[in-house]
Amino acid sequence: MNTEMQHCPYTVMNIPGNTAVTSGTDVSVFERQQARMKWQQQQQQQESLFKGNDHQFRGLVEVKPDPGLQYGWPDFSDGCQGQGIPSLMEDHNLKKRKTHEDQKQKVVLKENSVKEKKIKGCSEENSAETSSKEKPKAVEGPKQEYIHVRARRGQATDSHSLAERVRREKISERMKYLQDLVPGCNKITGKAGMLDEIINYVQSLQKQVEFLSMKLATLQPRLDFDIDSLIMKEMFEVPAVAYSAEVANSAYFQVNSLLEMGNNPIDAMLRRSIGGPVSIPETFVVSSCFNQMQPGVTWDGDLHNLYRMEIQQDSSTIPFQPHKFTGLYEVSNLKMEL
Amino acid sequence: MKMHTSSKLRKEFIKKWVKGLQICCSSKKNMDILERKKKIKLCADIALASAKNETTLWSIALISEAKKDDENKILVDNLLGPESRFKPRMTNRQMIACHKRVRSKKILKKSRHVCQKMKKMGPPKSNLAAYIAKKLVKRRTQVLKRLVPGGESMDKFSLIKEALDYILSLRIQVDVMRTLVNANEVLNQSDSKIYN
Repeated sequence: MNTEMQHCPYTVMNIPGNTAVTSGTDVSVFERQQARMKWQQQQQQQESLFKGNDHQFRGLVEVKPDPGLQYGWPDFSDGCQGQGIPSLMEDHNLKKRKTHEDQKQKVVLKENSVKEKKIKGCSEENSAETSSKEKPKAVEGPKQEYIHVRARRGQATDSHSLAERVRREKISERMKYLQDLVPGCNKITGKAGMLDEIINYVQSLQKQVEFLSMKLATLQPRLDFDIDSLIMKEMFEVPAVAYSAEVANSAYFQVNSLLEMGNNPIDAMLRRSIGGPVSIPETFVVSSCFNQMQPGVTWDGDLHNLYRMEIQQDSSTIPFQPHKFTGLYEVSNLKMEL
Repeated sequence: MKMHTSSKLRKEFIKKWVKGLQICCSSKKNMDILERKKKIKLCADIALASAKNETTLWSIALISEAKKDDENKILVDNLLGPESRFKPRMTNRQMIACHKRVRSKKILKKSRHVCQKMKKMGPPKSNLAAYIAKKLVKRRTQVLKRLVPGGESMDKFSLIKEALDYILSLRIQVDVMRTLVNANEVLNQSDSKIYN
């Protein structure tokens, strides 16, 4: 919107010269202006149609929702009458578009998106689509054109365009769903921007996969991953919350690798978590936990957290007896204190 | 509801990925890092796609794409196991033909539209904004088609749906891989601490 503000002084100066343009030097400007006027009017008329109001064109001009324009033109709100005002508005638009090519597109797209927000159930694509359909017919005056558009609307209900419209609505609905999915998409309306975001997101996800697989390749000297670790993850459904979860997992990893669990690691895991045989494995657990704990972290608190977390996660997947587990706590605590 | 399905998918993915890696590892002993990475990624992708159980287009396309490579074919078949239902819907030639057909149809349609427009339209500038918007959208859908596996032969409509699903699954994949990497890192750290 800032760009529009900047252009305002431009257009303010040109208003008085508007009527003089025909006699002036810039005839091509006038022609372009006319073309813009037609396009702009069509846009406005669509709005009126979609709003379902039958008010006159004047009323239409008053209601024109573009805040950018209205902001710079407080005069417009009082008694818009006649053709002078529409042409002025077009002139404004024209100037805006003339000055910057890139911003032109963006501004117009923004306008469209602004309109889109205010128009219920009317997507940007619809306006673009119908405007392209209305383009072919000749435009004479605002009021007459308005009537033309009505007739065109009837035309627009033939099966082909209806089907297209349905498709577009479906697409926009899915776009909205995607908006929730792709982060940071809430502020963007319009198909092109949304698609852009989606593309970026997909690309970044794919690159992440590449990168992570590379990293795994470096970390793991062989491809046979520590199966236990994966099964642990599977059981615990690590939501990637915290270090403690990983430490918990790794504690178990170590236990397993040290004890060289047998063929069925799952059973071993179960036995572990349920707090099976007490003596030797425990010392292992404790010692491994010792080694992993970072200095400065209190032993008790962390181990407790670990086991608590595991309980919480375990309880969702595996039935186990809590009292045995707590037994494990106490014994390990004792050992730690020693 | 979504969380539930995603966690199920996650488990499936992990299981299949591990299985695939095991198969992979048993075949060759020493691989250089790039090969390893490729295998890892391949296993992950196939696992992800097969966890979908043929419900989505992109997963089917991904698997049939992987099967084209003879080397990978064995792996894939082994991975999917005896319950392998993944027969490529069309043979290679048919797929190419299908693509060509789709593309030529689109070109024809586009040229027809353009002709009509050029006849009726005056200077193109008057519709510049809408025209540009459309072009942007078109270009971007093209890019998206290339990104999503099997996207070439989808219409705009289902493309978005597939892209949605693809994003969800990719997220799961990334998440799982990342937690594995983290776990491994911790493990390695602690390993070094023990030995020191």
